[in-house]
Amino acid sequence: MPDTLPVMTPTADHRGGDARVEAWFAASGWTPFDFQREVWDAYRRGECGLIHSATGTGKTLAAWLGALMQSIDAGASGAPPLTVLWITPMRALSTDTRESLLKAVTGLGLDWSVGIRTGDTPSAERARQNRNMPSALVTTPESLSLMLSQAGARESLAGLQAVIVDEWHELLGTKRGIQTELALARLRRWNPRLRVWGLSATLGNLDEAREVLMAGAPARLVEGVRDKVIVIDTLIPEQVDGFPWAGHLGFAMVEPVAAEIDAVRAAGGTTLVFTNTRSQAELWYQALLEARPDWAGELALHHGSLDREVRDYVEAGLKLGTLKCVVATSSLDLGVDFSPVARVLQIGSPKGVARLLQRAGRCGHAPGRASRVTCVPSHAFEFIEAVAARRAAEARRIESRRLIAKPLDVLVQHLVTIAAGEGFIETELLAEVRSSHAYRDLGDDEWSWALDFVVRGGEALKAYPEYCKVAWEDARFRVPDKAIARRHRMSIGTIVSEASMEVRFLKGARLGHVEESFIARLSPGDAFTFAGRTLELIRVRDMTAYVKPAPQNKKLVPRWSGGKLPLSGELAASMRAMLKEFRDGRSEEPEMRAVARLLKVQRAVSRIPDVNELLFEQMESREGHHIFVYPFAGRHAHMGMAALFAWRLGQQRPATFSFSVNDYGFELLSATPFALNRELFNLLLSTEHLLSSVLASLNAAELSKRHFREIARVAGLVFQGYPGAGKSNKQVQATSGLIFDVFARWDSHNPLLAQSQREVLERELEFARMHDALTAMQRQRITLIRASRPTPFCFPLMVERFREKLTSEKLADRIARMQLAFDKVRAA
Amino acid sequence: MEIVLAGETLRLMPDKALYWPREQTLFVADAHFGKVAAFRAAGIPLPPGSTSAALSRLTECLSATGAKRLVFLGDFLHSRDGRAAPTFARFAAWRQQHAAINIKLVRGNHDDRAGDPPPEWSIECVDEGEVVGPFCLSHHPEPDLRGYVLAGHIHPAIHLGGPAGDSLRLPCFWFGAYVCVLPAFGEFTGTYVVRPREGDRVFVAADGKVIELGARREL
Repeated sequence: MPDTLPVMTPTADHRGGDARVEAWFAASGWTPFDFQREVWDAYRRGECGLIHSATGTGKTLAAWLGALMQSIDAGASGAPPLTVLWITPMRALSTDTRESLLKAVTGLGLDWSVGIRTGDTPSAERARQNRNMPSALVTTPESLSLMLSQAGARESLAGLQAVIVDEWHELLGTKRGIQTELALARLRRWNPRLRVWGLSATLGNLDEAREVLMAGAPARLVEGVRDKVIVIDTLIPEQVDGFPWAGHLGFAMVEPVAAEIDAVRAAGGTTLVFTNTRSQAELWYQALLEARPDWAGELALHHGSLDREVRDYVEAGLKLGTLKCVVATSSLDLGVDFSPVARVLQIGSPKGVARLLQRAGRCGHAPGRASRVTCVPSHAFEFIEAVAARRAAEARRIESRRLIAKPLDVLVQHLVTIAAGEGFIETELLAEVRSSHAYRDLGDDEWSWALDFVVRGGEALKAYPEYCKVAWEDARFRVPDKAIARRHRMSIGTIVSEASMEVRFLKGARLGHVEESFIARLSPGDAFTFAGRTLELIRVRDMTAYVKPAPQNKKLVPRWSGGKLPLSGELAASMRAMLKEFRDGRSEEPEMRAVARLLKVQRAVSRIPDVNELLFEQMESREGHHIFVYPFAGRHAHMGMAALFAWRLGQQRPATFSFSVNDYGFELLSATPFALNRELFNLLLSTEHLLSSVLASLNAAELSKRHFREIARVAGLVFQGYPGAGKSNKQVQATSGLIFDVFARWDSHNPLLAQSQREVLERELEFARMHDALTAMQRQRITLIRASRPTPFCFPLMVERFREKLTSEKLADRIARMQLAFDKVRAA
Repeated sequence: MEIVLAGETLRLMPDKALYWPREQTLFVADAHFGKVAAFRAAGIPLPPGSTSAALSRLTECLSATGAKRLVFLGDFLHSRDGRAAPTFARFAAWRQQHAAINIKLVRGNHDDRAGDPPPEWSIECVDEGEVVGPFCLSHHPEPDLRGYVLAGHIHPAIHLGGPAGDSLRLPCFWFGAYVCVLPAFGEFTGTYVVRPREGDRVFVAADGKVIELGARREL
């Protein structure tokens, strides 16, 4: 967009919204897209809809101008009362969103006021808004729920004409999305003619995305600009022979990456370098700075743990083009227009097609400009992933967002939210909750449990009349205790971040947040990298880690890189298709040529599986007897399968297994060999009693307990302190693990425990995908290869650090074994 | 499991109590009675059961040792909000069944705010620093010139890491040169991972046993 925009003043020549908008567009040198016109008309007819297209293609103006044109058509003047609610998933985007909305308001010569209400909005500003709401309000799902928890909510919000949900694909399939659904159900009840418009990136299940947002009501699906050119290619080093078969960081590629950035920089453009984890981003930032010391000042780092001020500075530098390269994580996946970004590099696996397209969309962020994303493989198989992603994108095989059904923790939170606001009558609220997509088939028993839980504390507290959170008062369920209501408002939301600790210099400057578990491993004097610097820990006090710059050549404590996303099903299927092309000798892709030698070795010593073939490899080594399986179902499902297979083999004959997994397959290692035959294959791949077998094969209780943190937080069982909360709150703080233990022991039928187990199976093991994969594997042709040495396929599994052990040892034995390690630590 | 401290033999109980046979005294720290009730008062619906469970463990310890005296090393009550009728009724009933036991509370930081137990429970309440034989009874684990300190407060636990990513976090008894820290006795109490120094002795309670770490033997 040009910096100065012409301003239209209303005159007799410009009657009606269309004329005004056409004139503004013409004066700006733009032409409306057909899809924008479609939305403007539909909006003014009172319709709802979901607009989908790549980023930077004019979705915002499509939705927003509909509302403004309606107002012009109606001949309204001045700043109308609250008319449009604009929901964004990231509060960091709210300022930029407001700016772009205001640009159109000014451009059309209107007087609409646009406000922001997020967790960052000062209370004085909120109070001002409560007295006099702006014409449009940019907010987040959390802040919207917070508004609903206040007594005057209906008064402020009942007059809304439209709710526009930005980046709906980010919310869909998450608890935040469900929180949004519940809020929308309420707003719709207050105003049955409320218009709801969603903006989304392209997804595999757009119809479902629309249905969820509209709660089943008829709505239009509008496809935005389709012909946006997206180029996906791969940085192929000149020398591929020595390229690692396995590994995570891929520093062999630092020099070629720096050269690419140089080229973009020479042309005046900025490069965004995406990594998959924060620690990987830190390492790449350091490596690039070492390779090009003269980039200091033009190279920056951006990830979610960095202090907000640091991130703001980086984002501003991106917008202005003063930064020439930013190394980032998913923290920059969403968001505003970074026009100077000319190129995107993806370090390591793209993991999914939608994700890669989203990242590609961060450059060429203007209608008509091409987006180019270049994959930078960190090991050989990622060459195949890159070409697989390109092919899947070309064929528009894009991932779906899997929905979650009626989570009770979110419902429990919502009940208290509404009780703290204007209060509720059971039948009314039940009908309203059931009108949302997520809770459309909420059972009477589930509803009764949730209501009973917030009113009486559930069955277990029947004999405890002193317990009181929600109570019947003045003909409604309300929260009578002001302190409890206040605490609830402080805890509204479903985002649960890992326990983190602030990192700051002794002199005071804040750097950001690091996982508490990492700091716990450090002793004063230890050095680590964070925020692009090398730091030395001085001391930890009051949940703050105080640091100073570390002297050169200090040995660093390596940081665990967590949060491994599994390879998506679409990408995995595409990868198998690429392998088949290679097998059939039909592959012309440059990436496949780069890994041809490796694949030929695989073919010589083992086999490259066909798309409907399941490959098993068996091998002996000094470590023991290895079984490798390659289902290509992503690391989470493989984790479940590995545990399941180990358990099922162990049923045949007692044995202890180590296992390792990656996105392509998994390995079972045992001291004694197993003779694999047809009968055993049938047993391993069976889906009979799958759930109970998986639960038996894993330490399910331990996994659920870890996951319970999120549920306890959402359901209001743990209270996260806030600054100035004082001692009185400290005494009601407990870890979710402790609360899990109390429930598991004294109220084991609490449905929140079952929910925790269900969610952990889905999130950490992708249980549904595992089930589907096993069903598919039953129909596949099985090939068993006895390998005499490690194959290219199995090698990455053998070096994978993560080794899970299926143990049936007693606690005391484990202690006896581990205390050896304890002694070593102490001696050191 | 026994340990000799300042010339006295002490017995470590798997139920997280410490027994001094010569004086027939049982020590427990950080019972935090009423903690669950305090959570309930704040609108967090925790199920009942913890108080009764802690009391029956206390009964076990008393009958296993034949102790005549019981000393709470601070944080007997969790908070003022936790002074709830059902909790108090349970403790009162328990106290009646063990009326012969002489009970003393060395006040801790939580007791300062929560207040002393009701006088009818006949619990003698004293401030930190009382000396009994070679020991100095305290809540905060700070060295005292007058004796070897028996204390609580920090709810010590030890983190054990083994091969294959195996890991455990277990409450522990921690004996230093001048101070011993007992594990928290209460059911609904968290733990804090400590880092023992060279020469310290650490015992974990698990599976109904007390195991010394680093000693490679089980007593």
